[in-house]
Amino acid sequence: MNTPIIDPLQGDFPEVIEEYLEHGCMKCIAFNRRGTLLAAGCNDGSCVVWDFETRGVAKELRDNECSSPITSVCWSKCGNRILVSAADKSLSLWDVLSGKRMTRIVLQQTSLQARLHPGSSMPSLCLACPLSCAPMIVDLNTGNTTSLKVSVSEISNGPNLPSRNKCSDGITSFTPTAACFSKYGSLVYVGNSKGEILVIDHQDGEVRAMVPISGGSVVKNIVFSRNGQYLLTNSNDRVIRIYENLLPLKEEVRALDDLNKNFNDLDGVEKLKAVGTKCLTLFREFQDSITKVHWKAPCFSGDGEWVVGGSASKGEHKIYIWDRAGHLVKILEGPKEALIDLAWHPVRPIVVSVSLNGIVYIWAKDYTENWSAFAPDFKELEENEEYVEREDEFDLIPETEKVKGSDVNEDEEVDIVTVEEDAAFSDSDMSQEELCFLPATPSRDVPEQDKCLESSSKLVDSTNTGSPLSEEAGPNGHMPNQASSPVEDDAGGARVKRKRKPSEKVLELQAEKIKKPSKPSKSSKPRGKSLVDQDNSNGFDGVELTDE
Amino acid sequence: MAATSTTTSGSGSQPYRPYRHLKTLTAHERAVSCVKFSNDGSRLASASLDKTLIIWSAETLSLLHRLTDHSEGISDLAWSSDSRYICSASDDRTVRIWDGTSGECVKTLRGHSHAVFCVNFNDQTNLIVSGSFDETIRVWEVKTGKCIHVMKGHTMPVTSAHFNRDGSLIVSGSHDGSCKIWESASGTLLMTLIDDKVPAVSFARFSPNGKFVLVATLNDTLKLWNYSQGRHVKIYTGHVNREYCITFTFSVTQGRRYIVGGSEDCCVYLWDVQQKNMVQKLEGHTDTVISVSCHPTENKIASAGLDNDRTVRIWVQDA
Repeated sequence: MNTPIIDPLQGDFPEVIEEYLEHGCMKCIAFNRRGTLLAAGCNDGSCVVWDFETRGVAKELRDNECSSPITSVCWSKCGNRILVSAADKSLSLWDVLSGKRMTRIVLQQTSLQARLHPGSSMPSLCLACPLSCAPMIVDLNTGNTTSLKVSVSEISNGPNLPSRNKCSDGITSFTPTAACFSKYGSLVYVGNSKGEILVIDHQDGEVRAMVPISGGSVVKNIVFSRNGQYLLTNSNDRVIRIYENLLPLKEEVRALDDLNKNFNDLDGVEKLKAVGTKCLTLFREFQDSITKVHWKAPCFSGDGEWVVGGSASKGEHKIYIWDRAGHLVKILEGPKEALIDLAWHPVRPIVVSVSLNGIVYIWAKDYTENWSAFAPDFKELEENEEYVEREDEFDLIPETEKVKGSDVNEDEEVDIVTVEEDAAFSDSDMSQEELCFLPATPSRDVPEQDKCLESSSKLVDSTNTGSPLSEEAGPNGHMPNQASSPVEDDAGGARVKRKRKPSEKVLELQAEKIKKPSKPSKSSKPRGKSLVDQDNSNGFDGVELTDE
Repeated sequence: MAATSTTTSGSGSQPYRPYRHLKTLTAHERAVSCVKFSNDGSRLASASLDKTLIIWSAETLSLLHRLTDHSEGISDLAWSSDSRYICSASDDRTVRIWDGTSGECVKTLRGHSHAVFCVNFNDQTNLIVSGSFDETIRVWEVKTGKCIHVMKGHTMPVTSAHFNRDGSLIVSGSHDGSCKIWESASGTLLMTLIDDKVPAVSFARFSPNGKFVLVATLNDTLKLWNYSQGRHVKIYTGHVNREYCITFTFSVTQGRRYIVGGSEDCCVYLWDVQQKNMVQKLEGHTDTVISVSCHPTENKIASAGLDNDRTVRIWVQDA
């Protein structure tokens, strides 16, 4: 990302709807790690992968066995795999490049959320949060599920082995429990219905720490920022809380072991709480104290500087953006349909939201004309400045010319090959080849049906490449310059140095025309620029014909 | 410099090994306007004013395909980074996408209202940028052929357009003397690097790491700019470039860093990037050398000559 020349003046959050994507009825979305692809799960059980740069569909993952709505999508870290959970209790793992489904597991209950293990490039474990059960770790290769504890009171109740292939009996409630992996996946953070955050080592299922949330209301969402330093919880008391992660990112389990030793004099729940204070500290709380709105799908921006949350009220599509210090910086309002999912682009100031009727809205910064872009020495000023003339401004100094940059040190080394690592993607443990984009295959032009047979047989190159019915206007409604630009090529040819002499060419054209059977109508033109294939007779508006 | 093959040792511990002429490929009936090696090094494509494109095998230098769908001369061509597709810019106002293996024309992109002069893929191969005599730059989506952006800002024909490594920026040069950098995602102008009315900017491209821009102007000068600082850091001279839009390229194989380009005195010039001196001048063409291309892995250069010459010449380094 070339941030040095992109103007940082306006703040890094989106402001207006730039575009929307429509493909069936989409329910949930997820960006891949680099933000080049956007996966969207649909109502009919298929998953659409959008190429975010062109805003076109890059791939469709569809299988006949699953036709119920998708509840969540998750990318693997290197972008090769997508995990999809659907309302028919299944989890499907897809290979993105080939579009083939690799595994399908049917669980006891529908998962509301399924997350692939973030630590490895070929993950085989995933975390599934079912509708009314404890969250479980599912091994995608074997299909084994391991439920995680959701309450610390279980610990003091004697041995309570994690159940295999069975939902743990309804402990306290039937509300869905939220859970997420830590940044490298060695720990799972669970937010339970008693308003407690449990830190669990999923390898042995042990609860290592516990952090109670004040107010003790049910935790609906729990999510980490990309850099793993902040944790966000969304509770039923309509407050979003940000915690700072105090554990080191890589050696989490060992740090917990050390902490455990420190608190050896405490026991049971007390010990967990004490360890918990060393794992997370409350950083900020966000709420809308006036409307007391419930939040939906809160998450961090890519760099963790901003927090975004959608309003869960039906009938409005509002997105709140706060900076990490706690100030509300923007409320984005969309069309009056409820918001069901939200995601912030990993690197750019773009937010994508899904509305109830299945359309995905892309929010981006409003483009303001950057006047300093038009000349090298233009500068943008914040406010008007009085211009003070130099003493010798208007003196006539014959020999001194304005010498620009003559003191350039031309002997310094220039490096034209080394690529600087982008700071946002600094995870250096990426051994596997990352899938950044799906190669685009140009769709073949449809050979047109000739209305005018006569002309087609007389065409210069009668190959069946056809003329595409390509629309000119892009999704943003950019109308190409269709105005007949007076084709002054030959006249202005003297000024304009081309690779070949214009006049020669025109003579050739004339010569050719005399030889070939004449094209209908336009052959009388001196400069036959409109020789382009079949456009003449079929009146395609795509090509400029009227350039008289 | 009158010597046939002047050599000056450049940077690096080993002495410079000069290139020598290997073969001349004569298959075009008119001036050859562009020549490019594919990214995987297996093929070489050449475009000509005789309205055809030829795909050669880079290994045997035999003719593989002749692509004849354009109805006017072709000014530029580019390979996709996976070497599967070629796009070509023609005076018939279209950009065509061809299959690089079978030689079939897969797509035609229409929208420009005047001859298309320069064309390039982005590294992800999902976008094509084209510059035209209608003074606009267009960004096209490869998959559907739709024109996504029309970028206006130049006041004279656009002579070159190039994506940077990650596809986020486009640099463009024009006869109006300006070199501009655009954001490809939104199509907005980010900065103007040069804004003198003369001389015309005949060529502009990013360095392999996207940090520098190589700009050629029609006053026999080639400059390497650090665009984030807004100043040029190197100047290369010695060649003749006053009339034609000669293309230049970086040669970064095997640890050496050179800039290679053609000239209106019928020679191919090689400069050392750091020392700025000319390390070799390859003679043999009988007209302006308009385009050069370096093989991605081997030390091989292909060059194309204009109407008096009409050949593609291959140069290799002695073992």
